Amino acid sequence: MIKVQNVDKIFDGFQALHNLDLNVKKGSIYGLVGTNGAGKTTLIKHVTGILRQDSGSISIEDAPVYENLKIKQRIGYIPDDLYFFASYNLKESARFYKSIYPGWNPERYAHMVKQFELNEKRKLSRFSKGMQKQAAFILTMSSMPDYLILDEPIDGLDPIIRKLVWKYVVEDVAEREMTVLVSSHNLREMEGICDSIGILNKGKMMIERDLDELKSDIHKIQVAFREPMQDPYAGLNVLHRESRGTVDLLIVRNRKELVEKVISESSPVVFDLLPLSLEEIFIYELGGGDSEIEGIIF
Amino acid sequence: MFQLDLKSRTSIYEQVVDNIKELILAGVLSAEEKLPSVRELSKTLTVNPNTIQKAYRELEYQGFIYTVAGLGTFVSKAVDKEVDVRRVGEVTEELRRGIRELGFLGLTQEQISMLLKDLLEERGDLR
Repeated sequence: MIKVQNVDKIFDGFQALHNLDLNVKKGSIYGLVGTNGAGKTTLIKHVTGILRQDSGSISIEDAPVYENLKIKQRIGYIPDDLYFFASYNLKESARFYKSIYPGWNPERYAHMVKQFELNEKRKLSRFSKGMQKQAAFILTMSSMPDYLILDEPIDGLDPIIRKLVWKYVVEDVAEREMTVLVSSHNLREMEGICDSIGILNKGKMMIERDLDELKSDIHKIQVAFREPMQDPYAGLNVLHRESRGTVDLLIVRNRKELVEKVISESSPVVFDLLPLSLEEIFIYELGGGDSEIEGIIF
Repeated sequence: MFQLDLKSRTSIYEQVVDNIKELILAGVLSAEEKLPSVRELSKTLTVNPNTIQKAYRELEYQGFIYTVAGLGTFVSKAVDKEVDVRRVGEVTEELRRGIRELGFLGLTQEQISMLLKDLLEERGDLR
């Protein structure tokens, strides 16, 4: 279990993290999303013990992470900007990983190298960006981490490799109860793989919830009445509303049952209720007030 | 066993529940048949095991499946199902909407009632 409590971090007068909390349950796949510059990478660098917080606490299984070798041996981390030793090839890197991580699994390493079809003898610096990501993934997964922390892992990978990457992640979560913290801008893919979501904005955790709960609480509805109604949406928490001719389009934050009850009382001629995609939730929560963004969505 | 639609607005969890339910109702999965384990299904579908776990729990709650500790998850017999009042309400609402739409299309009350009767007869397997 990863627990971040009241963490602040200031870089040269710029507050990157602001009284931030994060909770990742054991065996969960947690998606960290947020706008550019929201602090995702900074937060991840704190969770992996690379940066030290100014205040607050960061712990994995109740032990502080910073300078904690025992915990770090069980963390697999793939940063957004990969780092390999100059002139090392995959085979040499594997030897290095083996000396660092006690859980190193040579069978899995051999299997993955074959499956990803990478040349072990070629210098890693000569690999393409996508191949370097694959190499990092092979090395990290072969160290059999209990905590897998991925910063933009699928960026630059082709769809076949992406599928393979997720297969490995899901398998380890299912078989060994590995805990995953992953940041990405690919919300559609996150929606398919994560069970919990944290939305980060300007260094603060805006929403942290079970993904299905988050989705069952916010809906997009289309309604039309035969005659204009007197305030048909009383009792609903309307986040956004616009009219297209006689049809009203609304975003409401309420339970489905309540929305259905309130709307059907005014006997509408058209009534559609759709769940929002994570992408839409993201846009409404983070850009809802911005009319320019709204103009693009609709 | 079935395919998930990642582009759909319906959540993965609901899709898993609906798909298994449909397989049971259509008789593809028969009573007492063993379902794949959470791990197996999560691997075949590349879906978070927690999501599958939750879907199984919901199906168990609705009476479609049952779990025997150490043995696995099985399809319930039709008679074992307890009537889920909430779900009955939802389906009733769907029927009400369907009937209203048939009315809009110009069918008389008698025609609609005939149609419903035919549909009931089509499913001769109800208790």
